[in-house]
Parts: sequence; structure tokens; C-alpha cells
Amino acid sequence: MMPLLATLYKELLLLVRDRSGLLVLFVMPAVLVVVVSLVQENVLKSTGETPMDVLFIDQDQQEIGLRIQKEMGASGAVRLVTTRNGRAMDAEASRALVEKGRYQVCIVIPPGTTDAVQKRAMAQISGSIQGMGSGAPETDTAMPHLTVYFDPLIHGAFRSSVLSALKEMLLAMELEIKARILAETLPVQFSLLLQTLTGRLPEPGSAPLFKMDAGWGTRRLMDVSAGRSRLEKLPTSVQQNVSAWAVFGMFFIVLPLGGVIIRERQDGTLVRLRTLPVSYLTILAGKLAAYVLVCWGQFLFIVLVGKAGLPLLGAPVLTLGADPLALTAVVTSIALAACGYGIMLGTLARTFEQASMFGPVSVVCAAAIGGIMVPVYAMPPLMQKISLYSPLAWGLNSLVEIFVREGTLRSVLPELGYLTVFFAATLLIAWAAFRRGDYLAGPAPY
Amino acid sequence: MILLASGLTKTYPGARTPALSDFNLSLESGEIVGLLGPNGAGKTTAISLMTGLLAPDSGSVQICGTDLFKHSRKARQWIGLVPQHIALYPNLTARENLTYLGRMQGLGGRVLKARVDTCLETAGLSNNARMRIRAYSGGMKRRANLAAALLHEPRMIFLDEPTTGIDPQSRNMILDRLSDLSRSGTSMLYTTHYMEEAEKICSRVAVIDEGRILSEGSPKALIDGHPGCGDLGALFLHLTGKELRD
Repeated sequence: MMPLLATLYKELLLLVRDRSGLLVLFVMPAVLVVVVSLVQENVLKSTGETPMDVLFIDQDQQEIGLRIQKEMGASGAVRLVTTRNGRAMDAEASRALVEKGRYQVCIVIPPGTTDAVQKRAMAQISGSIQGMGSGAPETDTAMPHLTVYFDPLIHGAFRSSVLSALKEMLLAMELEIKARILAETLPVQFSLLLQTLTGRLPEPGSAPLFKMDAGWGTRRLMDVSAGRSRLEKLPTSVQQNVSAWAVFGMFFIVLPLGGVIIRERQDGTLVRLRTLPVSYLTILAGKLAAYVLVCWGQFLFIVLVGKAGLPLLGAPVLTLGADPLALTAVVTSIALAACGYGIMLGTLARTFEQASMFGPVSVVCAAAIGGIMVPVYAMPPLMQKISLYSPLAWGLNSLVEIFVREGTLRSVLPELGYLTVFFAATLLIAWAAFRRGDYLAGPAPY
Repeated sequence: MILLASGLTKTYPGARTPALSDFNLSLESGEIVGLLGPNGAGKTTAISLMTGLLAPDSGSVQICGTDLFKHSRKARQWIGLVPQHIALYPNLTARENLTYLGRMQGLGGRVLKARVDTCLETAGLSNNARMRIRAYSGGMKRRANLAAALLHEPRMIFLDEPTTGIDPQSRNMILDRLSDLSRSGTSMLYTTHYMEEAEKICSRVAVIDEGRILSEGSPKALIDGHPGCGDLGALFLHLTGKELRD
């Protein structure tokens, strides 16, 4: 046990003194998490995944403007901005702000909208009753137009969804107003018709012959909603990025770990170690333990950034799922897979330059294939198939499963299996190369 | 008998001739034997086989009566190696390097601290024990390299050109310490290209070339046995030839 612990301590000491190694292992993934999370948070806002500030200029100040303001505000998809620096804004100034990109959307409700709509509804209904069978006559009142200004850079899908939501809201209000006016008009018209037919005037103070419920227009005949999912919340940019860049950073362990193995070989330290009365497997186990601990340190550091750092910058707080055992197993498996790869690289590469070139490039490629940078579903079919074989994809998928889908040990078992097999395979290859190296080394084995 | 190498033969894959052929060598307690030979003669292969770094095609090695290849862990407790390279961690201090290697040898606690202090003292590095190896001069590095091999008080030390490229003071100190160790009963196999070093400290030398021992005996007996060779250097050239070995 002492040789293993001694090696573990020695490796940690060497790593603590390797400033560039620490930068690569801790600072790089943390910076990536912060930068990409904040960038992605903004992208999610621009696509409507998270609440966005929308300028709302209500020049109507009556029923329709107030209803739109209330319903849009209640949807949670937008935050309506009605004043700037404590002062109400006019349509032109708001439009200019959108054109400058300060805001992405501006909704303008023109003055007199409610009055115009009610007049048009009254005219349409009265006209329809009077001219039954000949179509609804036109009214003198012009149709009011709500205007929506968009930032030219905003996504087309988001633009369409805002317009659709507004149109749906207006249709519902139209129907409600028409139903209300119909409920007021129809009994009067019916009484007049009856009076004409019977030639008698209704007695003063008598109840109308029939009443109509004014609220019938608000009662839905059908509805649509998103299907029930066991997920209550959508993944946040922080959950996605902490998972992705933690896995990426952990796999960058190949650089210092591979480098240590190569340097030991080049410096001749390996020769001295191999003449000690200790199995090289024990020495390797000590290295492995040290670097698995470092991977855990990286993960905890990135989690800390997600929990405490990013919220200070306006991003959502990281939530870790509900199964700490599964999370522990997954992080340990990712760490083992990354360290196994580092040991294999350090054993196979002949020089530090080879390892420092191939190691990071291979990790970046595996990260790209594995969905760290671009989601796998957005890749072409061939790349999606290839991504199934990326250890970084296994790590990312298992972390996302736990963070976002509240996965358990059972649900991440396949990924745990793949990562463990990968770890075992890399160690076996490294061991075979190490044994073979005795004979390939030539007449000067050290 | 501290070291007994019998019939060691080693041919590397793809090589036409063996790097070492029927190599026999024995060392008694306290003996310093010089293994002299030109580049490619088989010195490093011999040391690699006798320290268990390489497996021989045939032959055996016994360290203090223990078969190196059958009971390697036990046999390795008796040996120390001073490699040709500075086989220490440059980013650790001398004390940290020695403490780590001592723990790997199974030492701990006060014994380890005492041995580290003694070895640093032996190598003249006590005052610089907290300096990182990378900051050491060439001579200090060589002395630290030697100190690392002495931690566990080995009975048999293999030294592969331990004084290459260092200052005369450091060389002198290393040779003095090796003589002290010899007097205390430690055996040593010493390879070097400096013939005067071998003549100074070795009780016996073996001249090796093309994987075979050409001649073996005390420096004086070997010189006396070859008329016209006034010193070990002349004898070496006489036995191995003057053509360049690159």
C-alpha cells in the first residue's frame, strides 16, 4: 500500500508544480463552461427557450392592450418592457431600439384599437342579422393593425412563433368580443322581430323574452397542449455545458498523464523504478489513482462554477439530478476512461511532442463527434452513427441523463459499461505495448 | 558471493549477432569490478540483464544467492542502480526524490528520514536538499543520482558511467564515496570510458567487446600480462582496436 500511496502523492506533487498542466486541466474547462454557457443562454433567449425582454407599447390603454399585456406576461415566455429609465416609450423610439439590436421584439398596440374593434364587431353582427343571407356588410371603421418589429438577426422560427401567438390571442379576443356583442344584440333583435310579428309592444319593465350568456365565446370547444413528459423542466444551458465541458476537460488529462509517462521513460526514471522491488502495476495504479482524483477535482471545480459562479453572471443555477450514487459512478468511469487513454497514449507515443500533438487533437475530434460542441441530433446521419463510438459521447450522455432526465444507476448502466470496457481496453493495449517495448528498445533499453 | 551471472546470452529481435554471448561474471562482497568496453560492446545490455530490466535468452543471475528471474522482487531488494541518465524527477527537490524512492523501497518513518539524511550527506547535498533537481548543476545531479541508489543500503550496486560530464571535484567525491562503500562491504559493477577511474577504484576489470569478455583480472595483472601496454588505456585499445565505434 505504501508504494501506491507514495506514487499517488508524488504524482499530485508533480502536477501541482506543473502550471501549464493545471491551466489545461482546471482553467480551460472552467472558462469554456462560463463562456459557452453565457453565449448559449443568449442564443436560447433569442430562440424563445428562456424569457426574453420584449418592448410593449400600449397606445390603446383599453381592454385589448391590457389583455395582451396580461396574457403575454403570464405566459412566462417573455418579459414585457413598458418603460425605459422610468419613462414611457413611444413607438418610434422603441422601433429604433429594436433596429439597433438592443431589443429583439417590439409590439405596438395603436390608439383606439379597442373602440375600433368593438365598433367593427357591432357593425358586423348588426349587419349580419339585418342582411341575413346576403353576407356581412362592410363598416366605416378602419381595421386596427397591431405592429410587431423584429431585430433582423432574430431566428425565423422565433419570429413566426411570436406572430402566431399574437394572432391566436387576437382571434380569441375577437371571438369573445363578438360573442359578447351578439349576446347583447340578439335578444333586442328578437324582441323587435316579435313585436313586428305580433304588433304588440312589450310591457314596460317586463323581462326580455330570452337572455343569452355573454361568456359563451370564451368557452373552448377543443384544446392542444404539449404531451406529458416525466421531465418537469427543460435542460438549461448550464446543465448542458457543465456536462459537456467537464467531460472534455477530464479527457484532457491525457496531456499531463501521457507526458509524465513519456518523461519518465526519456529521463530514465522508469528504469530506476523498474529495478525497485515493486511491481510496475503498483506504480501504474498509484498514477491512475492520482489522476482519477485530479479528474474528480476538475469535475467538482466545474460543478462549483455552475453552482456558484455562473448564477452571478445571470445564468441559471446548476442542478445535479437526484441520484448521487449514479453521478459518482459516472464521474469515476469517465475519469478511468480518460486516464486509461492517457496511459495508453503515454506508452505508445515515442516522444512528448507526438503525445502533445496527437492527444489534444484526438480529444477535440472525439469531443466534436461525441456531441460536446454540436448536439448529436444536429449532425448528419453518418456522424450520428460514428458518435456512438466516442467515449466522450458516453460520458456526456450519462451526465445529461442524470442532470436533466433525473436518471438512475440503472438508466446509465450501458454508458458505464462502455466506459469501463474502454478503460480496460486502453490499459491492455498499454500493457502489451509496454511489454513489447522491452524488446523493441534495442541494445540501450534505458 | 554477491553476484553470480552465468552464461548470459541475449539477441535482440532482428539482430544477426547476439548483443551478449555466454557472459559470466561473479563479484564478492566489497569488490568493485570495472566493465570496460567501446560503444556497442554489450555493457548496457549486461547491466540490463543483471538488474532484471531485460530477460536473457539463456543464462541466470543470482544476487546474494537469490535467482533474479525467479524471485525478482526479493533479489531486487539487494541491488541499486545508478543509471547513465539522471533518473530523478526534475520538479521535485532532492529530498522529495529520495523520500519517494525510499518509500518505494519499503522504508518509512524515522528510518526513511535517517536514510535520506545520510544519503544526502554522503552525496554532499545536505545544504541543497530543498532545491529542485532541475536547478542543480551537472555535478550535483550526478551526486543526487548516486544518493538515490544508496537509500536502501544495497549489497550490489550497478553504476553505468556515473561520472560522465561532471566537474573534477564532483568526480573525486563520487570516487571517494564509492571506495568508502566498498570498504563497508558493498559490491559494485562499474562501467566507464575513463580508464584512470577504473584503474583507481576497481579491484578487477573485465574488458568486453562484441558481447564477449575478452580479458578479466586486476588492472595490474592485466597490464603486466600484455607487454607494451603501459596502462589500462593502452591495454583497452590493444584489446578492442583503434577503429571508431559509432
